[in-house]
Amino acid sequence: MKKLSYLVSAVAAVFAANAHADVSVSGSADAGYLSDVTGDGRISIGSGVVFGLSTTTANGIGMSTGLSITVDQDGDNAAGAGGGQSVTFTTGGATIVVGDVELGDTPGSTGGTVGNLVGDVGQFDSDVKTGFADDDGLGVTLSTSAGAATISVGYIVDDNVNNSGNMTDATDTMSAFSISMPMGMMTVTAAVADHDNTETASGATVSAALGGGTLTVGYSTQTLVADSATVAGSGFSVNTTSGAIEGTAAVTASADDLTTAGDSEVIGAKYTMALDADTTVAVGYTNAQDADSDSTTRFDLSLSRSLGGGASVYLDMRTLNGDVDTNGGGTAMGFGTAVAF
Amino acid sequence: MSCQNSKNIYILAMFIRALFLLLFSLIVVSCGNSSMTGSNHQSNMEKLDKIYGKCKNPYRQYKKIERRVCEDKQRAAGPDGVVGDPINVTEIMNRVRGIGSNTVAVSDTNNALWDGSLQVLNNYSLKITDFDGGYIETNWINNSDLPNQRCLIKSHITSKELISTGISVKIICEKLINNEWYLSDENFTEDEKRLTLKILETAQTLANT
Repeated sequence: MKKLSYLVSAVAAVFAANAHADVSVSGSADAGYLSDVTGDGRISIGSGVVFGLSTTTANGIGMSTGLSITVDQDGDNAAGAGGGQSVTFTTGGATIVVGDVELGDTPGSTGGTVGNLVGDVGQFDSDVKTGFADDDGLGVTLSTSAGAATISVGYIVDDNVNNSGNMTDATDTMSAFSISMPMGMMTVTAAVADHDNTETASGATVSAALGGGTLTVGYSTQTLVADSATVAGSGFSVNTTSGAIEGTAAVTASADDLTTAGDSEVIGAKYTMALDADTTVAVGYTNAQDADSDSTTRFDLSLSRSLGGGASVYLDMRTLNGDVDTNGGGTAMGFGTAVAF
Repeated sequence: MSCQNSKNIYILAMFIRALFLLLFSLIVVSCGNSSMTGSNHQSNMEKLDKIYGKCKNPYRQYKKIERRVCEDKQRAAGPDGVVGDPINVTEIMNRVRGIGSNTVAVSDTNNALWDGSLQVLNNYSLKITDFDGGYIETNWINNSDLPNQRCLIKSHITSKELISTGISVKIICEKLINNEWYLSDENFTEDEKRLTLKILETAQTLANT
């Protein structure tokens, strides 16, 4: 990360003694080759730069935000700007984020180890729905500690907007609470989440050092509403006499396809281990089932090695079996290099 | 009428939630450095970073690009968390081809000072040990009682003779501010002198045995 001594520091110092303004620039670039679930070979490049803006007030409260320029690896994309929709306040003992925040809607879900190349570009398409319809929006999160416990509470006032919204008329709110606590050689994390649309989630993970690595096992359950996405030309219509909306929800073929409202469950485990000072190996297992009785089993394997100078090489593999959409399951394997600036 | 009432109740409930969260936040911030809440936050977060990985710690808020940059940095650093020197491919190729294998290097490093430095610094893990250059550097030294500070020691032997000016020791320390490490402006001259003296004494003992 390159630190830029910024003129703002000097200007701000005139108004607030000991204030510490800073602009940081960091970024990374990825280049990888992937054999996706259909067996097609893909080359995927992505890069991004993040500008972090921060200052510390005379009484020790830090304020920061960040803006970014990104070329997304997920598709054939041009550079796009983003970020800047939230502000983070930090004290010695707490972090508060106001603005566009994301809350955990699948607490306790674990098992994913692969990176963006295989996870997002690999063309996986599961029929199992886990997670809320929307879990981010305009809100506030607070993270702090009480003794050895770390706690986090979050509230989204409207998940349809990100940085500016009407609180009075907002309807899609979400709240979440999480606590992590060491218990002997283990660390237990438990969390709950609740959405206005009646969706709820709860779950827990247990982590422990084992055999030179870290083992994490988790269980998550969510009560979800049925998918209401519609196919063009069918679904709902407006009654011209009464003005009421009529019809039956139709589900898109490529969506997560939850036609029955009810409970989804995710059970997973992950083991991460350092082979030496520069090499990490991780394996993960996840089993998911939803209220349609659709289920999938996923196995992940990741191997990465640092090359020094900010560069690394990696090999990721994911296998997804069970109830998947057409050509949405199988094995994808990718390798590539990444460099962080 | 009923619809209007339920809307009012909903708005009131939402207002109470927002108010509660705001008050809770203010209380926590005001008690941020008390012993009850927040005092262990940094160390707790570091422990959770080790369990989940910093980029997937559920108590950190990252946007997608921020998480990707974080993961690339994590991979670049490796499990030890230190971004090492880049691999020199040309050097590797030359080694494979045997080029430069007959080079004879003469070191200016005094053996006693070298052994003394290693003995004094053997309580710490070493990042660099270069006998030819007479250079030793430790990894970052962390103290659980001071989670917001870290230091490293550099030792450079510049003489073939066991003389007091044949070694220089430098202590570098950093402080954690807002999750970023900044160079400490403290003066460690006295500590550096004490460490130099200890190495010279150990080297003298080793040279006499």
